Amino acid sequence: MDSLHAIGFYVSAAISIGGGLLVAFLPARESRGVALAVAGLGIVGLYASLSAGFAGLVALVCYAGCAALVAAPQYRVMESVVTGVWRQVGAVAAAGLFGVLAYAAWRGDFVHFAFYGGGINSASVGRLLFAHDTLATEALGALVFVALVGATAAWRLRDRSR
Amino acid sequence: MTAGLVSVLFVAAALVAVGAFVAVWKRDLTAALAGLPLMFGGAGVAFVGASRFAAAGGPPAFGQEVAVLLAVAALALVALGLGIAGRGTSR
Repeated sequence: MDSLHAIGFYVSAAISIGGGLLVAFLPARESRGVALAVAGLGIVGLYASLSAGFAGLVALVCYAGCAALVAAPQYRVMESVVTGVWRQVGAVAAAGLFGVLAYAAWRGDFVHFAFYGGGINSASVGRLLFAHDTLATEALGALVFVALVGATAAWRLRDRSR
Repeated sequence: MTAGLVSVLFVAAALVAVGAFVAVWKRDLTAALAGLPLMFGGAGVAFVGASRFAAAGGPPAFGQEVAVLLAVAALALVALGLGIAGRGTSR
C-alpha cells in the first residue's frame, strides 16, 4: 500500500470510528442518522483504500439507507428496562471486546493465510455474486424483500388501528 | 507511511467494538439498532483486508463479496428491526 492509500485509510478509519462514537452519544434521532451516514462514508473510504471499490459502492447505498431509516421520525421509542449499571457493564464489555480482538490481530499468525482466487474487478465480483454464490445472494435479496414488506405492513396495520 | 494487515484488523476491531458499544449504550432499542451496521462494517473491513493483504496467487474478490453481503444484511436487519418496532411517537 502506497502512502496516498495509507493516508486515505487512516483518515477513513478516523472518520468511521468518530462517526460511530457520535452515533452513541448524540441525543437526537436526526443527528444520529447523520452520524451513521458519516461513519458509513468512512467505511466506504476504508473499502476504497483497500482496493475494494465495488464493495464500497454497494456499502455506500446500504449505509445511506441505514442512515435514512435511523433518522426517520416515525418510529416509536422503545425504552430498555436495563439499568444504568448494566449499560456501564456493557460498555466495559465492549472495551474488553476491542481488547480481545486487537490482541488477536496483533498476535495472530495471519501470514500463512492463502486464497487462490482469480482477478479482482467488478466482473469477477459479479461472477462470484451471481454465478458461484447465487444462492447466498438470492437469500439475502429475499431477506431484504421480506424486511421491507414487513416494515411496510407494520406501518399500515398500525395506521389502520388508530 | 503504510498500512498493513494488522492495522486493518485493528480498525476492524475498533469498528466492531464501537458498534457493540452503541448497541448496549442506547436506551432506545430502535436507536441501538444503529450499532448493527457498524459491527457489520467492521467485519467487512476485516474480510476485505484479509483478502487484500493475505491472498496468494493474485488479488481475490472473496473479501469484497463478503463485504457486499454484510452491507446488504446490515440494511435488511435495520429495516426489519425498525419495522418490528413500528410507527409511533418520535423523539
